[in-house]
Amino acid sequence: MKKFIERFYVAIIFVFLYAPIVTLMVLSFNQSKTRSKWGGFTTEWYSALFKNDAIMQALYNTLFIAIASSVVATIIGTITCIALYNMKSRTRNAMLAVNNIPMLNADIVTGISLMLLFISFGMRFGMETILLAHITFNIPYVILNVMPKFKQLNPNTYEAALDLGASPIYAFFKVILPEIMPGILSGFLMAFTMSLDDFIITHFTKGAGVDTLSTKIYSEVRKGIKPEMYALSTIIFLTVFVLLLIVNVAPAQKEKRMALEREAAKNGIIKKSLFKPRTKKWMNRIVAVILTIALIIGSVQLYKKSGGTNQVVVYNWGEYIDPIVLEMFTEETGIEVIYDEYETNEVMYPKVASGATQYDIVCPSDYMIQKMLENDMLAEIDFDNIPNIKHIDENYMIQSREFDPENKYSVPYCVGTVGILYNKTMVEEPIDSWDVLWDERYKDNILMQDSVRDAFMVSLKRLGYSMNSTNPDELEEAKEDLIAQKPLTQAYVVDQVRDKMIGNEAAIGVIYSGEAIYTQMENPDLEYVIPKEGTNVWIDSWCILKDAPNKENAEAFINFLCRPDIALINFEYITYTTPNVEGRALIEDEAIRNSEIAFPDLSKYENLETFRYLGEDADRMYNNLWKEVKSE
Amino acid sequence: MPNKLIDLVNITKSYGDHVVLDDLNLYIRENEFLTLLGPSGCGKTTTLRLIGGFEQPDVGQIMLDGKDITNLPPNKRQLNTVFQKYALFTHMTIAENIAFGLKLKDKSKAYIDDKIKYALKLVNLDGYENRKPDSLSGGQQQRIAIARAIVNEPKILLLDEPLGALDLKLRQDMQYELIRLKNELGITFIYVTHDQEEALTMSDTIVVMNQGYIQQIGTPEDIYNEPENAFVADFIGESNIIDAVMLEDRLVSFLDTKWQCVDEGFGNNTPVDVVIRPEDVVLCKPEEGTITGEVTHVIFKGVHYEMEVMAGGYEWLVHSTVMHPVGEKVGISVDPFNIQIMHKPESEDEEVAYIEE
Repeated sequence: MKKFIERFYVAIIFVFLYAPIVTLMVLSFNQSKTRSKWGGFTTEWYSALFKNDAIMQALYNTLFIAIASSVVATIIGTITCIALYNMKSRTRNAMLAVNNIPMLNADIVTGISLMLLFISFGMRFGMETILLAHITFNIPYVILNVMPKFKQLNPNTYEAALDLGASPIYAFFKVILPEIMPGILSGFLMAFTMSLDDFIITHFTKGAGVDTLSTKIYSEVRKGIKPEMYALSTIIFLTVFVLLLIVNVAPAQKEKRMALEREAAKNGIIKKSLFKPRTKKWMNRIVAVILTIALIIGSVQLYKKSGGTNQVVVYNWGEYIDPIVLEMFTEETGIEVIYDEYETNEVMYPKVASGATQYDIVCPSDYMIQKMLENDMLAEIDFDNIPNIKHIDENYMIQSREFDPENKYSVPYCVGTVGILYNKTMVEEPIDSWDVLWDERYKDNILMQDSVRDAFMVSLKRLGYSMNSTNPDELEEAKEDLIAQKPLTQAYVVDQVRDKMIGNEAAIGVIYSGEAIYTQMENPDLEYVIPKEGTNVWIDSWCILKDAPNKENAEAFINFLCRPDIALINFEYITYTTPNVEGRALIEDEAIRNSEIAFPDLSKYENLETFRYLGEDADRMYNNLWKEVKSE
Repeated sequence: MPNKLIDLVNITKSYGDHVVLDDLNLYIRENEFLTLLGPSGCGKTTTLRLIGGFEQPDVGQIMLDGKDITNLPPNKRQLNTVFQKYALFTHMTIAENIAFGLKLKDKSKAYIDDKIKYALKLVNLDGYENRKPDSLSGGQQQRIAIARAIVNEPKILLLDEPLGALDLKLRQDMQYELIRLKNELGITFIYVTHDQEEALTMSDTIVVMNQGYIQQIGTPEDIYNEPENAFVADFIGESNIIDAVMLEDRLVSFLDTKWQCVDEGFGNNTPVDVVIRPEDVVLCKPEEGTITGEVTHVIFKGVHYEMEVMAGGYEWLVHSTVMHPVGEKVGISVDPFNIQIMHKPESEDEEVAYIEE
C-alpha cells in the first residue's frame, strides 16, 4: 500500500510537470486549427513550418544569437575565472557576489537597463544590440559553472606542466583547459539555453526587423498562435531533451566504467583500459567546425543587414500583413522594408516613445492614435502622395474622425466590429440585443471578453450610454449590471471565445468580427450579430511618426497598401475586414464578398462608436470598477 | 668531493610582512640525497619552490652548475618536480602523462615509447600505459608522477612531501623504492618532508629548518646523535632536554648533580642545554645510580617499554627492554658518551618553535 502511494505520488508529479508539454505535442499533430477539436492526425504543420520563411528566419536568428552569445560569453567568462582564481580569496568572494547579482535581477530590469544604456550610447537597435545584451547576461552563468572547476583544480597541475617544459600558454591549453572543460561545457550549455529561452531582454533590446522565436511567437498572440508554432515548440523541446540526456547520461556512464576499472585494478585482473579515449576527438572537431560555420554565416548576415539607405522602417502588429506584400513593395519601388512586430498597443507605445528604434510608420488602434496625437508623436500625412486613399470606404473615414478629427494623420487599414456570436442550435430565437447576455435561460453558456473596456462597452451600450462615458453614475450603473450578470456567465476569457464556440462549449459569446468569420467556417451553426443598441467599431490605421527619417517612403508604403489588389492579398492573409471598397470588390468568393459579418453596412446601424483615450483619471476609475466586478 | 650543483646564496623571501626565508645559504652536491626537514611553515617548501622556479627570491641568487638561474622560468630549468598531490593530468592516459615532457622536447616517437616502457618498468607499473590516472591507487599515481619526472633525465629531482598522502605501509615501501631509484639513476634528489623518520631513513644529508632559518646540516647520524640545539634535538626523535651548566671541560652539572661527559671547549661555568636520548638512560638499583628517582608511568611499546621516572625534579623519559613497575625506586646513570651538550639558543628565532604537526 505504501509503495502504491509512493508511486502514485511520483506519477502525479510527472503528470503535472509534463501534461502541458504533452498537450502541445499532441496539438502539433492536430489537423484542426482550433485547440478544442481533434481533426485527425497530420504532419502538415511540420512541413508548413519549414516553408515559413519568417519562422525559419526567426529560428535562424535565435540559434545564431544563442550560439554567438554563448561562445563569446564562455570565452570572456573563462578568462574572468582565471583572473578570479588568482585573486586573494576575499577579493574573489566579493567579485563572485557581484557576479551573482545580475542572475538574481529580474529580467525586465536587466532588459530596460540595457535598453537605456544602448540609447544613451546612441546605438542603433538591431541584431548587434541583442547579441551584446545576451553576452552580458550570459557571462555570470558561465562564471557560475566554470569557477567550481577552478576551485577543484589541483594547484600543482599547472606548475607540473611548466616543470615539464611547457610554456604558460601551452600549459593552459593542454592541461588546464581540459581539466576545466566540463565546467566550460556546462557553462556554455547553460548560457545557450538561457539565450534560447530569453524573451524579455530580447524584446527590449531588439531592433526593427530582427526577431527571435520568442518575440516572433509572442507577436502572434493577438491573432492566436498558429499550429506551426506548436510544431516548432515540439521540435525545440525534443532537441533540448535529447541534449540534456546526452549531457547527463554520458558522465554517469564514464563514472561507471572508471569504477569498474578501479575494481579490476584492485583485483589485478586487467591492466589494459576498457575503453579507447580517442573516438571522442572526432566529435569535438565536428562540433567545432559546425559552430565556426554558423558563426561565419551569421556575421556575414549581420553585415548584409546593416546596408542600404533607401528604406522604410515599419512597426506593425504580429501577423498583420502578408509577407509577400513586403517583397512586392521592394520589387516595385526599390525601397527596402525593415519590418518589426508588436503584440499590443501598450507594448508598441513605450518602444516608439523611447526612440530606441527610428520607426517611420506604425499601425496603432483608434484610441492609441488619439493618445499619440495628444502627445504630438505623429506627422501630418501628405495625401497628395497617397492617391489610393480614394478606395477607402467613406464610412470609415467618418468614423475615424472620433480620434483623428480632420482625417489628417491616419489611413484605415483593418477594421471590425464587436458583436454577439451565438450557436443557432443552442438558442431559441434570433438574437439582436445585448440583453441576451443577461438572459437567465443561458446561464453558464455565456462568454464575456476579459478586458475592462470591452466588458464595460457591452454594459454601457445596453444601458444606452456612450461606451466612452466618464460619468461616474453611468459607470456605477454599468458596474452593477456586470455584477448582476456575472453568475450567468460561464467565464471571462480572451481568445478562447473562438475555440469554445467552435467546440460547442458555450451558446453565446462576445467576439470581434474578424474572429467571427473564421469561427463560422469551422462551425456553420454559429451566427454573428451586431446588437441594435450599437457597438464598438474598431479601426487600426497607418500613421507616420513625427520624426520619421523616411517620410516619403512611408507614404509610398501606405499608398501601396491602399491599392485594391494589395488590399485583397492582405485581406486573404489577415481575414480581418478591409475598409478598401475596390479591394473588397475583387474578392472571388461571393459568400465572403457579400458577408454581413465582414462587410457590414455601417450606415444601417446606430450608436456606433470608436474607443477613445479617456485620460489617466478615467482609466483609474474604469480599473477600480473592473476590480470590483472581477472580485465579486 | 663532488661539485656544488645547486648553490643558494643569501636568499630572502617574504610574503607581505611575513618573512619566510631570511638570508639563507645552502649548497647541494651532485648525486646527493638531500632532505629539507622541519615543521610546516619553516620555509622548506618555499626553498624547494625557489629551486623549481615557481617562486622568485626577494634577495639573493640561485646558481645551477655555476650559472645564475634566479630569474629563469620553471619550463627553462633542467630539473623536475614531484608534487605532494601527484598533479597528474587526469584527462590524459598514463602514457600521455609520461610523454608530456618528451613531446615538448620534440623527441621521436620510438624514443618516447621506449622511455615510457623504461620508466614504467622502473616504477614497477609496466602495462599501465593506457590507463587513466583516476583508475590508479594513490601509491601508483605517485609512482607515475615520479616516472613522468625522471624520463626527462633531470639533473635534479625535487620532491615535495611526495609520500605525505600515503598510508604508513605504503609510505615505507615507497621509501625503499626512492632509495633504489636514486641509486639506479644517479641523480640528485632534493626531498622535502616534515617526517623525521623518513628523513633519517633516506637521506645522505639532512637540513633541519625552523622559522626560515637553517638549524643544522649534517648526516642522519650527526643530526640524531649530536643535535646542535634544543629544537633539533626535540624535532628529531624524543629526548630529555635539561638546563645545565658546563662547569669545565668534560664536567657538567644539572639537576644539582655533577655528570661526566666528553665535550670540551664550552668554557667554564657556561649555561648550556643537555640532551639525553631516552634509550641512553640506564635504570639500575638506587645505590648504583648517579641520581635516584621513582617510576611514575609505564607503557608497553612492543620492542621496548616507555617509562617516566621522576628524579631530581625532572621527569625523565626512558626506553628500556626491562620493565620497572610504577612506584619502584630506581637509580639513573648515563654513559658520558651519551650526554650531548648544546649551546643555549643565541636569539629568539632559534628558540624551540611550537610544532604544529
